[in-house]
Amino acid sequence: MRKYEAIIILNPNLSSRVNDFHKDFEKLLKDNSFNILKTEDIGRRQLAYSINNHNKGHYLIFNLEGDSLKLSEVENKIKYNETIIRYLFISVKEHSGQDSQLLIDLKNKNNDSESQENLDKKVQEKVNIKSDESSVKENEASQAKENSEENSSDHNNETEQDDE
Amino acid sequence: MNKYKIPKKFSYKDIDFLKQFITETGKIIPARVTGISASNQRKITKSIKIARFLALIPYTDMHK
Repeated sequence: MRKYEAIIILNPNLSSRVNDFHKDFEKLLKDNSFNILKTEDIGRRQLAYSINNHNKGHYLIFNLEGDSLKLSEVENKIKYNETIIRYLFISVKEHSGQDSQLLIDLKNKNNDSESQENLDKKVQEKVNIKSDESSVKENEASQAKENSEENSSDHNNETEQDDE
Repeated sequence: MNKYKIPKKFSYKDIDFLKQFITETGKIIPARVTGISASNQRKITKSIKIARFLALIPYTDMHK
């Protein structure tokens, strides 16, 4: 049994199908008697240089434990998968067990954007109070905006929980 | 004398840390300039090369 770390960069245009890939890949690993100790979904990230004309990539990191012979089988199977734009398996002595710096950065970023959204909401609320009854239509429009913003922030929360 | 703070454990994922050891053009700064221990220089070099492959750090500033 060796310990491995798998990093997979997925095509960003197929981001909606990440969950499907995630399930398929986990199944493939389990079929080859790998233990999945930890998975990290970093999400979309700017690439430092373009790969196959992609400027962004969806990063997934897996902490694995398994047999080296089986690993080459897994590699052969995902080699021709078109949703993957780059992958790397590296063997490690020990898994850190903690969140990677990439994930921590992502969380900090999310928190920042959320606090920014809250600020925006407060400003909008003030505007609503100030506006007269005659501009009811405008109010409705801004409320609709608020609702959509709330939805988006809810979505952020969900993704965060998933990460944890 | 040594201006770098090197944690006991680091990996290719600590991009901000590794960026201290590359030039603006993306080259790895040689050990004779960084002045860090040979073993640390080796580990950092390896991590940078992995991070480059995964498009976390650029190979050069000439990428299109």
